[in-house]
Amino acid sequence: MMLKLFVCVAVVGLNLGPVHLLANAQSKKSPPPRTIFNEVADKVGLTFRHYNGMTGKFFLPEIMGAGGALFDYDNDGDLDVYLVQGSVLEATDKPDSTMFPWRETVSPRGRLFRNELNSTRKLQFTDVTEKSGILATRYGMGVATGDINNDGWTDLYLTNLGANQMYLNKGDGTFVDATQNTKTDDVRWSTSAAFFDYDRDGWLDLMVVNYADFSAANSPACYASTSARDYCTPRAFRSPGNRLFHNRRDGTFEDVTAIAGVEKEFGHGLGIVTADFDDDGWIDIYVANDGDPNQLWINQKNGTFRNEALLAGAAVNRDGKAEAGMGVDAGDFDGNGTGDIFITHLMEETNTLFTNLGKAMFEDRTREAGLGMPGRRFTGFGTLFFDYDNDGWLDLIVVNGAVQLLPELMRKGDPYPLGQPKQIFRNQQNGSFTEVIDQAGPNFQLLEVSRGAASGDVDNDGDTDVLVTNNNGPVRLLLNETANRNHWLGLRLVDKTGRDMLGASVEVVVTKNRILRRRVRTDGSYLSANDPRVIVGLGSATRVEAVRVRWPDGATDELRAPQVDRYTTIKQERPVR
Amino acid sequence: MARSTRMLSTAKNRTSQEEGLAPAVRGLAERGQAPLPDLFYSVVLRFLCALFVSLSWVNCYGQHRDNLVAVHHPDLSQLESDVRNQITSQQNALAAAIKDPTTSDAKLSEAFGAMGELYHAYSLTAPARECYMNANILAPQDYRWIYLLAKLDQLEGRVDVAIRRFRTVASLRPELVAAPVNLGNIYLELNRLDDAEQSFSAALQIEKQNPAAHYGLGQVALSRRRYADAVTQFEKALELAPAANRIHYALAMAYRGLQNPEKAKLHLAEQGPVGVRVADPLMNRLAELVQSARIYLIRGKQALEAGRFEEAAAEFRKAIAANPQSVPAHVNLGATLTQLGDLKGAAEEFEKTLLIDPNNTNAHYNLAFLLANDKNHERAIVHLKAVLTINPNDLGARLLLVQQLAKLSRCDEAAEWQQKLIEAGYKTVPCPLK
Repeated sequence: MMLKLFVCVAVVGLNLGPVHLLANAQSKKSPPPRTIFNEVADKVGLTFRHYNGMTGKFFLPEIMGAGGALFDYDNDGDLDVYLVQGSVLEATDKPDSTMFPWRETVSPRGRLFRNELNSTRKLQFTDVTEKSGILATRYGMGVATGDINNDGWTDLYLTNLGANQMYLNKGDGTFVDATQNTKTDDVRWSTSAAFFDYDRDGWLDLMVVNYADFSAANSPACYASTSARDYCTPRAFRSPGNRLFHNRRDGTFEDVTAIAGVEKEFGHGLGIVTADFDDDGWIDIYVANDGDPNQLWINQKNGTFRNEALLAGAAVNRDGKAEAGMGVDAGDFDGNGTGDIFITHLMEETNTLFTNLGKAMFEDRTREAGLGMPGRRFTGFGTLFFDYDNDGWLDLIVVNGAVQLLPELMRKGDPYPLGQPKQIFRNQQNGSFTEVIDQAGPNFQLLEVSRGAASGDVDNDGDTDVLVTNNNGPVRLLLNETANRNHWLGLRLVDKTGRDMLGASVEVVVTKNRILRRRVRTDGSYLSANDPRVIVGLGSATRVEAVRVRWPDGATDELRAPQVDRYTTIKQERPVR
Repeated sequence: MARSTRMLSTAKNRTSQEEGLAPAVRGLAERGQAPLPDLFYSVVLRFLCALFVSLSWVNCYGQHRDNLVAVHHPDLSQLESDVRNQITSQQNALAAAIKDPTTSDAKLSEAFGAMGELYHAYSLTAPARECYMNANILAPQDYRWIYLLAKLDQLEGRVDVAIRRFRTVASLRPELVAAPVNLGNIYLELNRLDDAEQSFSAALQIEKQNPAAHYGLGQVALSRRRYADAVTQFEKALELAPAANRIHYALAMAYRGLQNPEKAKLHLAEQGPVGVRVADPLMNRLAELVQSARIYLIRGKQALEAGRFEEAAAEFRKAIAANPQSVPAHVNLGATLTQLGDLKGAAEEFEKTLLIDPNNTNAHYNLAFLLANDKNHERAIVHLKAVLTINPNDLGARLLLVQQLAKLSRCDEAAEWQQKLIEAGYKTVPCPLK
């Protein structure tokens, strides 16, 4: 039933207005760009190199991190960047004497970069870590973003090898470590995390995925089938189990892992995505495990979850095999209104596409979608469903990097022989994808040990850019250069405090027969956090009939004929409980 | 020393790994020789050719050898010494065959093929491929080298070449059922369902009762959402290979498609990690070439993880025979025996481990686990305390210890050990346990 609540529609002043006018004018005539993504990180001041602290002992964590976040920490209307950093793995190690020594004067630490786009009208980042109060010097893995106290400022949760950190955004450009106060610590090896409102009380809860019971002391020597030393698989370590924190609405969280039932099954967890897979209005959880069956935690609407992955057909691949799940994302790639799931895996396995047949019943349609063979060549990590060309169909990006030494690169004398190219797959609008190679951009061919991928419109030009984090390598900002090709609708869904309504879903009614469904999220991918805004590609359509919103609490709203080619903020004017 | 495993956390080697090694050198050149065909042999061959003035002979020896590819022998320095020695010995045999001007093409082909197989057996796939190519050039009608090349192509994603090669094998060796089954699997992955169906059907022409071919036909039907056909084929496959419990998963999905959730659930309850494998004498032969305790261990762990426990135990026993002091072999054999229900044998293996390495925490933990299950809490506690003396941060051992103390109502002691668990977010273990 549609609830007609007060809807505040705010047209966000576009920072690059003239660019859009030009873009719209050119939308049909201009030839396709030669390059879809240009890599601009260094050029725009995003200077960051991941440090993994490796010493030649083949410690598993050194090849697994780290992630990054695209989020607007200062509420100035443009996306800032947080990048997770590694450290040394043993207390006796010194950063400047590891295999890839740390050469900077300041010790390695996670860094916050402010986007100056709105103040200078130029995409440029400034490192504001020192002023920010964020002191992330532990061995970092991932990051999640969400406003946990409904003050309208986005907070940060950092996962580490060891104790995690919750940083509360004070709203003045600084953060304060609230880990102890919020009771959200987890001392195990955490990887991805997700903020979502599972009990529909208007406060963001938190799920933390944990990977392996690793310590330098308990790390065994592992070998490849050549008999040479190599990295262990996670199965050399016990899986520690995940953790669900319930927001108590008073600045603290309660560990409800057992109460909610999510302690019952777990594996070596790496990826998480939350969405309403069974379309019952309650957010469910999907966890990608490395080598173990994945879990699909269906929300029972009473504070508990039940893992239904196996019967749902989303625990293992079509052959019944548990694969090495790394990154995961969910999105309605086939336009049938349901959330499909895509998971990245090891080379010689395929990445896996689970299409949602409705009511959270999935079918592995990887090979039908043309995603089988291309995935076999590489080990995928970060992955995103996003519409890079704004044609209204969700495409896919997969960033790769091996986890065991690649002989071809060793022969060439590569000191870190794990590098692999990135891949982008264009949705063919018929249930299948085609790999885009020539036009993707030169950075896609670089052999890098890519891990995280976060999507967002960094330059506010109406197309989706991608932040890619590389293990033991530089960060990459892949700027989407396709803005002038198709029309789009940008949406930001917030509550009355200005909190992004993670878990809200939108139906964009382009025509009666063309309805695009998207959701508000920051989770998905691998160790990373995405832009909570929704960009809906419209192709050649110049108008939209309506936008229907289903808020996380189940209420619905409708906005008639929003303007296209710009961002619109939709506010739910409901009191916070 | 290879890694040890705990019973509930068995190790897996990722898919085949290749050599670990330094920049490539042309193996033969490294030994002071030019890559084939080198100058010396060309001269000798030309001399012999001139001597015998036999055009056919030239065709046999000259033109074939002109086409041989350079073999880039890998750096073996990072490999286990047994493996290194075994490979070096085979390299020497190949070098001798090359050097000997009387070696026939057939014999040289065998020498290259044998070298390729050994590299392949140790996942050194790049030099394996080069060796197979030479073996194939020298003996183009020998299906073995084409088949093994096709397997490498399949593994490394060169599907078009793999298809071509498997087809050649099928024409050279029509009775080899593995060729059409492999072809069918490639076509399946390419979503070429008609071709896949044709290949699996061809396999059934060769061997009527082939479970892998039935399974493949089931997958074709599942892809087409012809669920009843899928059920028929999967059930046939399961009947022929009842140990392949992964078929139950496919059956469950087919029954789900038939809107029969009850049957789907029944099959899901029985699904497991063992898949259907086609009989493959050439690949099986590769496995037999391995003579390394470490590789036995790796293979054992792979089998253990796949739920092939008998096979895993056999591999671990081979590892122990090759190196009786191998701690991981004993620990893993213990873990495998546990899975096989031989708890006494398992405990013996853990005890043997502790005789070799008294500080092995995995053996202590596993033994404690068995003792705890046997309600021998006192002895379990001794071993768990040993673990925690060595590694106080082992939360799993700590939890089990607290549980054992609680079982004996030693609540004060349990509370002491519990503190760290609570800090780590574990639930409090009630004492005494109900």
